[in-house]
Amino acid sequence: MVEWLKKPWPYWVGGILLGIFNVTLLAITGTVWHINTGFLTWGMEILDFIGIKVYDWRFFKIFNYTYNDIILNHNLFINKYTILNIGVITGSLIATLLSSQFKLKRLKDKKQTILALVGGIIMGYGARLTSGCNIGSFFGGIPSFSLHAWVYWIFVVLGAVVGTKILSKLI
Amino acid sequence: MAVRELNCLYEPCPIPLIKAVKELKTMQCGDILVLRSDQSCIGVIVEEWGQQNNYLVRVVDLENGEWEIYIQKP
Repeated sequence: MVEWLKKPWPYWVGGILLGIFNVTLLAITGTVWHINTGFLTWGMEILDFIGIKVYDWRFFKIFNYTYNDIILNHNLFINKYTILNIGVITGSLIATLLSSQFKLKRLKDKKQTILALVGGIIMGYGARLTSGCNIGSFFGGIPSFSLHAWVYWIFVVLGAVVGTKILSKLI
Repeated sequence: MAVRELNCLYEPCPIPLIKAVKELKTMQCGDILVLRSDQSCIGVIVEEWGQQNNYLVRVVDLENGEWEIYIQKP
């Protein structure tokens, strides 16, 4: 039993479980799982707070299916995507604690911090262009038979190959 | 038979393996590299890599969120 908790589970087990949960989430709540979008809503409110007229942007008219409810009810910080993100963090914490692998980590050095920031900004930018990243676009899009998800898949693989080559040079 | 230590704490997943492969290239046959990491996936990917490339790999779980991975160059 303890072995089970400590070793990583096989990919196919994770895949099946994730698939089941994805379908369950959609069936019960009508929401497609998005992670990035949860952080976007925080960013929207922060920008609006400092005076930038975020809600007039054309982006939110085009994607009004996703954002309208959240904007109209003004729950930019606590909304369904935030709850999902908190759920992911809580679930991971439970798994880590059960396998006695919990450890507080820190940023190693300046190089790692800068690489992470730059990489994160590029990822975030790309995620908005594709209506989501691994989860929102790929994991939500392909089962929904959305063509954009297949295009995303091809190019995210290419991007990962290029990124890996760059990473090997930089380490 | 030399023993070298490579500290990869706080580095996210594939980086410890990439660094270990680079370090092993500079080592002699029979030398051992001790890789320290705090990523739970590292043990599995180093073992897989070791099987594909014929390196002996032993993963020790230190039970505090850290692992020591012993890799011997054939």
